[in-house]
Amino acid sequence: MATTEVLSEVIGSVWKVEMAEGDTVAEGDLIMILESMKMEIPVEAPCAGTLSEIKVKPEDSVEEDQVLCLIES
Amino acid sequence: MSDRELSSQEGERDERMAELAKRRADVAEMGGEANIERQHSNGRLTIRERIDGLTDKGSFREVGTLAGTGEYDENLKLKKLTPATYVAGSARINGRPVAIGGEDFTVRGGTSFGAMRRKGGQGGYIEDLAHHYKIPLVNLIDGAGGTVTSAKRRGYVVFPGVDGFERSVELLGEVPVVSAVLGTAAGGPAGRAILSHFSVMVEGSSQIFAAGPPVVKRSLGQEITKEDLGGPKVAVNKAGSIHNAAASEEEAFEQIKRFLSFMPDNVWELPPVVECDDPADRMDEELLTIVPEKRTHPYDMKKLVSMVVDKDSTFEIRPTYGKALITMLARLDGRPVGIIANNPKVYGGAMDADAARKQIHFMELCDTFHIPLVFFVDVPGFMVGLKAETDGALREGMRAVFTAGRLSVPTLTLVIRKCYGMAGMATCNKNDIDLKIAWPTGEWGSLPVEGGVAAAFRREIQAADDPKAREKEIEAELRAYSSPFRTAEALAVEEVIDPRETRPMLCDYIRLAENRLKVKLGPKSKAGVAP
Repeated sequence: MATTEVLSEVIGSVWKVEMAEGDTVAEGDLIMILESMKMEIPVEAPCAGTLSEIKVKPEDSVEEDQVLCLIES
Repeated sequence: MSDRELSSQEGERDERMAELAKRRADVAEMGGEANIERQHSNGRLTIRERIDGLTDKGSFREVGTLAGTGEYDENLKLKKLTPATYVAGSARINGRPVAIGGEDFTVRGGTSFGAMRRKGGQGGYIEDLAHHYKIPLVNLIDGAGGTVTSAKRRGYVVFPGVDGFERSVELLGEVPVVSAVLGTAAGGPAGRAILSHFSVMVEGSSQIFAAGPPVVKRSLGQEITKEDLGGPKVAVNKAGSIHNAAASEEEAFEQIKRFLSFMPDNVWELPPVVECDDPADRMDEELLTIVPEKRTHPYDMKKLVSMVVDKDSTFEIRPTYGKALITMLARLDGRPVGIIANNPKVYGGAMDADAARKQIHFMELCDTFHIPLVFFVDVPGFMVGLKAETDGALREGMRAVFTAGRLSVPTLTLVIRKCYGMAGMATCNKNDIDLKIAWPTGEWGSLPVEGGVAAAFRREIQAADDPKAREKEIEAELRAYSSPFRTAEALAVEEVIDPRETRPMLCDYIRLAENRLKVKLGPKSKAGVAP
């Protein structure tokens, strides 16, 4: 089992979380949408696996390289 | 001449030939079997394997082969020749000439070699070869630079730069200079890698820094591994010291070949044109719908670019640094072009300090080697916020504007969506025909409407019965003026096109630009002070 950290590429805030902990994801699946510079920034699964932990909720502020969620694969 | 004299002279010749063979054989052994084995077990190739891996088979002509340190017996007869710590020569890559060299880590860890004339590194023979013969220079770097032991051997310490770093600097305006960092590079070799047009390092087996962990420990008391200090995660992704990372040495060589395939041999020649089987009038249907209707939705800019340029022709430089901007070498109808595209997926494409630095380097690269630029524009302006201001986004951004203002290479500005403010200025070349081509989705101005209304109409909005509604009303009214067609009426944007027409139009202009390129060949003069 390998754990992959999904990082935020931007400073901004969490707008919508589209998945829940325990969900199975395929590479490229939409996990959540951030808002930054008036744009909706999709956060997509970098690999397939199970979403083991979601570390943010809507309206949370996020920093660049902050861990948003973990994928076990 | 008597028979005896003749045979003695022949004996001398045989002896000399035997000595040449012996010296060559000693050099071929490099630093010895044990050291070669160690190099391999560290996941690294030897310098001779590297040169073989990168250059055309049989094309390497070595120079300075016999430089080294001879060990002699009591009759002054050679016992053993330890080769110099650098291997150098000329070779061909895809049939084109290069000067190539690199440290031999199996000999004294590739530390600087104290001879009459340096073979490589800053001011070395290999740099003279590239300079005088006007051919690209390839540095295969695997060494930690000077060693304090050389002072003892010499009897004095050298002044910094005594070996001629001016040549390394001069080369950057003359011929393509490429460096691969293939081991742990510190000091001089690390600096040499930075003085390059393109640099690449290998994940897991290479690091680069001004000074390594022991020096950091002694100077700052900090304990850090060499990978954490100067692996690609720092040097490529964060610092941008090195342009690209590669998964293996072989992949690094492929990247070097790819980079050089777009470059002329020197600034006095046009970049190489290749046969292209992708039709110049190809129109990709998907271009019509790739930009989402909703202005807040990003899209895949790399995919968009790939639909316009020659099929499979792109080579991305710095894919993991300053990701709000994309820089790629590519081809249009077989002709090399430099692509600068904003990335709406990162900060909506806003220009932060890293993106500005990336754009500046790439503009200078293409301007120097007469490679036309094509901007794929979707930039809302400079990045905002405390981090951006602290990072110096404003100064770096204006440096990008300054550099754009000095471009002389043909430049096409294609506005996909947003083009705002000073970052928008940095996408145009006023020293050229300044051709701005817009898609119907294009919008531009000093600043986006939604950002400006609240500030410019503050009193009017506050005085309204329903301030929110009034703000929206004013926004809608102003947005009507921002139609690209109204700007086209005033010829303030030269052309608005169907997105599917992009490739044929760009190919036409890149072909047309050839006459302009021909009369502008040669080195660029630099004057003024960049902000």
